Amino acid sequence: MSASDPNEILLPPLETVSTVTGAPEVISPRFRMPGFPRGQRTPGRRLSWVIIALLIALTLLAIFARLLAPFDPVQPASGLNLPPGTPGNLLGTDSIGRDLLSRTLYGIQVSWFAALIVVASGLIIGGLIGTLAGVFGGWLDNLLMRFTDLFLALPGTLVAIAIVAALGYNLQNTLLGIAIVWWPYYARIIRGEVKSLASRPHVEAARLAGTSRTRIVFRHIIPGVIPTAIVTASLDIGNVVLLLAGLSFLGLGQPAPAPELGADTARNLGQLLTEPWIPIIPGLAVLMLSLIANLGGDAVRNLIGGRR
Amino acid sequence: MLTPSDDRSAASISGLTLSLERDGVRSNVLRGIDLEVLPGEIIGLVGESGSGKSVLALALMGLLPERSNPVVGGSIRVAGVDMVDGRPDELRAVRRDELGVIFQDPMTSLNPTMRIGAQVTESSRNAAESLRLMSAVGIADAELRFTVFPHELSGGLRQRVMAAIAVAGKPSLIIADEPTTALDVTVQAQVLDLLRELRDEFGCSVVLITHDLAVAGQIADRIAVLYAGRIAEIGPAADVLHAPTHPYTVGLLRSRLSLSTPRDLELQTLRPETASAGERMLGCAYHSRCPLAVPECRAEQPPLVSVAAPATATDTETAFENEPAATTATATVTAAAPAPATSHDRACWRSVDDVQGFIHTGVSAASVLPVSVSGAAREPAVRVTDLTVTFSLKTGWRGRGRGGGRTSPAEVRALRGVSLQIQPGEAVSIVGESGSGKSTLLRVIGGLTPATSGSVTLAGGGAQMVFQDAGSSLTPWLTVGEMLRERLLPLKLSRPESQKRIDHALTAIGLPLTVARVRPSELSGGQRQRVALARATIIAPAVLLCDEPTSALDASLAASVLNLIREMRKELEMTVLFVTHDLSVARLMGDRIVVMTHGEIVEVGPSADVIERPSHPYTQALLASVPEIGVLS
Amino acid sequence: MTRFIVRRLASAVVLILVLSAVIFVLQSVSTGDPVKAYLGANASPAAIAAERQALGLNDPLPVRYVNFIVNLVHGDLGISFRTHRPVVTDLQTFLPATIELVIWSFVFAVLLGGIFAVSGALRWRGSSIFRAPLLVLATAPPFLLALGGIVLFYAQLGILPANGRGPGETGPTGFLLIDTLVAGDTAGFASAAQHLLLPAVVLAIAPAIAIGRIMRSSLENTFGADYVRTAESKGLTPFRVLRRHVVRNSIGPGLSMAGLQLGFMFAGVVVVEQIFSWPGIGNYLAASIPTSDFPAIAGVTLVLGTIYIVANALVDVLQAIADPRLNA
Repeated sequence: MSASDPNEILLPPLETVSTVTGAPEVISPRFRMPGFPRGQRTPGRRLSWVIIALLIALTLLAIFARLLAPFDPVQPASGLNLPPGTPGNLLGTDSIGRDLLSRTLYGIQVSWFAALIVVASGLIIGGLIGTLAGVFGGWLDNLLMRFTDLFLALPGTLVAIAIVAALGYNLQNTLLGIAIVWWPYYARIIRGEVKSLASRPHVEAARLAGTSRTRIVFRHIIPGVIPTAIVTASLDIGNVVLLLAGLSFLGLGQPAPAPELGADTARNLGQLLTEPWIPIIPGLAVLMLSLIANLGGDAVRNLIGGRR
Repeated sequence: MLTPSDDRSAASISGLTLSLERDGVRSNVLRGIDLEVLPGEIIGLVGESGSGKSVLALALMGLLPERSNPVVGGSIRVAGVDMVDGRPDELRAVRRDELGVIFQDPMTSLNPTMRIGAQVTESSRNAAESLRLMSAVGIADAELRFTVFPHELSGGLRQRVMAAIAVAGKPSLIIADEPTTALDVTVQAQVLDLLRELRDEFGCSVVLITHDLAVAGQIADRIAVLYAGRIAEIGPAADVLHAPTHPYTVGLLRSRLSLSTPRDLELQTLRPETASAGERMLGCAYHSRCPLAVPECRAEQPPLVSVAAPATATDTETAFENEPAATTATATVTAAAPAPATSHDRACWRSVDDVQGFIHTGVSAASVLPVSVSGAAREPAVRVTDLTVTFSLKTGWRGRGRGGGRTSPAEVRALRGVSLQIQPGEAVSIVGESGSGKSTLLRVIGGLTPATSGSVTLAGGGAQMVFQDAGSSLTPWLTVGEMLRERLLPLKLSRPESQKRIDHALTAIGLPLTVARVRPSELSGGQRQRVALARATIIAPAVLLCDEPTSALDASLAASVLNLIREMRKELEMTVLFVTHDLSVARLMGDRIVVMTHGEIVEVGPSADVIERPSHPYTQALLASVPEIGVLS
Repeated sequence: MTRFIVRRLASAVVLILVLSAVIFVLQSVSTGDPVKAYLGANASPAAIAAERQALGLNDPLPVRYVNFIVNLVHGDLGISFRTHRPVVTDLQTFLPATIELVIWSFVFAVLLGGIFAVSGALRWRGSSIFRAPLLVLATAPPFLLALGGIVLFYAQLGILPANGRGPGETGPTGFLLIDTLVAGDTAGFASAAQHLLLPAVVLAIAPAIAIGRIMRSSLENTFGADYVRTAESKGLTPFRVLRRHVVRNSIGPGLSMAGLQLGFMFAGVVVVEQIFSWPGIGNYLAASIPTSDFPAIAGVTLVLGTIYIVANALVDVLQAIADPRLNA
């Protein structure tokens, strides 16, 4: 975007629609006087970048969870039911002495990547179907969108539960189950965006200019869809984190000793009134993931959405 | 009802300053306005977009948007109530009993989920009265219309409903904010007539806000010209229109197209703004665009003072030759006008003689028309034969149409058997109102909309199109250079060669070469339309299709784009098809004019003939509705 | 209008059929063997084969689907592996408790969402203070909220129970609040209300904020609409402007979101019921998962899914009634 920086190119105002000091109804936020700082909402942008940094930090944490975890998450490490703050076991231990910090880190890794995988697969499948439907229109559009609407109208979570229950409980099936019910949302949004871009005069102008169909799709339509797709996806990661945690809580995830945030809460519910941190810490980890994901989604929207 | 206590005016504004905030930036929208609205008068507030005229209307109603944190100085009194500092219930009472409002777009200004009758009754407070008012504003079958929703009415009827709401409760003042802009020309005239009738019948004052001097000229007793939040000139309508004393008014009048604008000469345009916001605040806001500016104009704001010597008869006569009726009209109005509120005031350092002496200077005599259009014995550039286009309105399987449409038949016949031949090098204007099929015809010729039956033949190469909304016709994420280069792809030029072509195209449309590296969002509306034109003409097309390319632009900008299109036509020897709703633009841009309505061509002929001797009743009706300066009743 | 309603309801029926087909397909690929589960692991191969024949499991797929639908219509969802009772009987036992919980929770969600939206849109003083904590609550997993609620209101403050529906006797409706009231059992009613409060609020929080956000932005859009300016120019009182012009025109998005959230609540109720030992079908489902009781899972999915589909259809119909432009 550097070439388009208005500070860089001094555009002589040949004509100004607004002949005035800039009455509010005509101020064009794009057309700034040279010398003005870029963007009036600098604090908002700065905050957005801070949150994006947080998002990156979280991803790094997930990547290096295995290196950062002080203990093996499935083997007893110290005494039983140690409270948080215990030296050596920062978050304490559970009823058989496993280190909660290690289990939580492993759980974060699983949750975070699982959520990213689901969102990415939804984006790819939905994006492909939505783009095809939007670009080609006609009977293909009809067919694909009826199919999509059908999926959208079904209760996704319940269908996902039924899928996992039918296929057997493990992480792969959980991901598969969620992915199967998740893509239609993306297909709808992306198809809508493609359609609205395709009906804009700029695409008609490109057609009149003799631009090839492929070129129109890749140069005049898809670049306009990408920001929407990214914003949609990033706003959605938090939802998937929560859904995954919920399914895991119900036992639709990895089998017993494996560390998983939702399941770790469910398995230790019995200790809620005696050692509340044991079931609550994994829940807090889920809260952290979903909070950062949601804020991150808003930040991405602020940064990208504002450009279009 | 409250009685005006302090004076006899319907509204009085004094020393009004107003600043609003947007995106954290505060700007001064109104910068010292004094205005008396006399009982029973129609006052026209005229200004370009951004002059502050609409904000002034909101301020009069005490409805400034709180989100913009308005800071108001000075005073506004309506019916004796202070609209700036008054208590909310006082302001409400004034709005209820003393004010009526008509907004620009009647579609969005009426509640879509509430029946018409209920909306009028909210204002009139009884159903019988509502029916009477609806009949009074010219709604036929008021009983039937009483229970329909706004989307079931036509635009003109909706605006009449707004008028019925406005006059309910016998207000002393009606504020009409661009009441005709969103409407078709024939409906515009009816709405203006209606406003005058309302004044005559109910005796209320009317503040008519418009961007078009001629619209104000049609019914206003007085006109105030607003520039950058100040009154540049104010006086009896005829004086302001025929003996303008402010360079800005002169500029507006010069750049305004009329049915008598010389066809072969370059159109007059206002100079572009070059002063910064701060510089404009310091002196006369218009100074950087003013051809008569002297150093004083830059340094100090001129006060609004009476035109010392009233315009003499000779001045008036020479001002605009094409309006011979002006002299007598001015004389009568001036004579009848009571002083002092109707005095002619201006805010300019230059003398009246200097300004009026400038009226006719600087007009280039070079013809912009092509030397000759060889019409005879050649294959037509465009041949349209018995063209029909039918749109079917499909609803989705869940039965959800997009909101906002009218009651929809299953099919719309946009074109019903249209035939037309256009010679190479010829320019043809297609005129019609919304729904006439004029844009559809253009799109079929361009190949953007398929024909249902009939044929279109383009001789020698393709067509290019310039769209109404230049902003959306440019790809937002591509730079101007990338878009122009894409047009050159089929030529397979080397990079320096195509760069040369791009530079040439940008020079031709009068933009600096740096624009090539810029995205459309950083250009102004006029600049975007120029870029669209450059894209269309970088390889000279056989036919250039223009779909209302100037209707979204202010008058002066529109004139400059029209100049450019005519220049291009002459230079590239293109055939031009120009779609417009505006007869004066059509006359200017076309050698021939095609008049369309309801999907059919009702009249075709040389421009002069169609304008001077319209044969079809519809054309006659269109012509009669064109607001012209000098048509005084 | 009538045509739209008929079409919308017809599409709901189609969707329910599709849902049943999905369940059927899943059932036929399901890894659990219903016969073994039913007869026990020690059953003889001959007995298993006989039972398979009797259950029609050896028929071709289309025939089995037809049988499946016929059984569905007759209210036969199979036998639960876990309880060894017909799934339909189990569902009849547990469904009222779930519906009672979700309805109250939905009422809380709409109320809370409405307050959130109106206070935000009208910029009441102090409304921004609650925004951050509310947003944190909305992003928290429901099980964490439930645990937090139990620790705070049960363990620490001791003012709310954390388990079950209370001692009152259910009667004909199966809704404890109504049945105790009808029976004149005020103590039972009070206890039922106490038991309901915490799970209902926990379940309501995320939907409340989703509904509130949408309603807030649609309220704000409507406040900026031209026709609201027209209404203000008539000199109407702010309350009248709000009631007659703003609310109806901004209700649409809120309604859709409420419908969507009602559907999500029927899914989210599973976790909440499990934690609060609420004797509803969510708890039944949660108990069926560890035992891979597919007939039970399928039954719950079918019932809750049908409720979800019907709820969304009703919302669309309501919207069409609210906005005359939609059914043109």
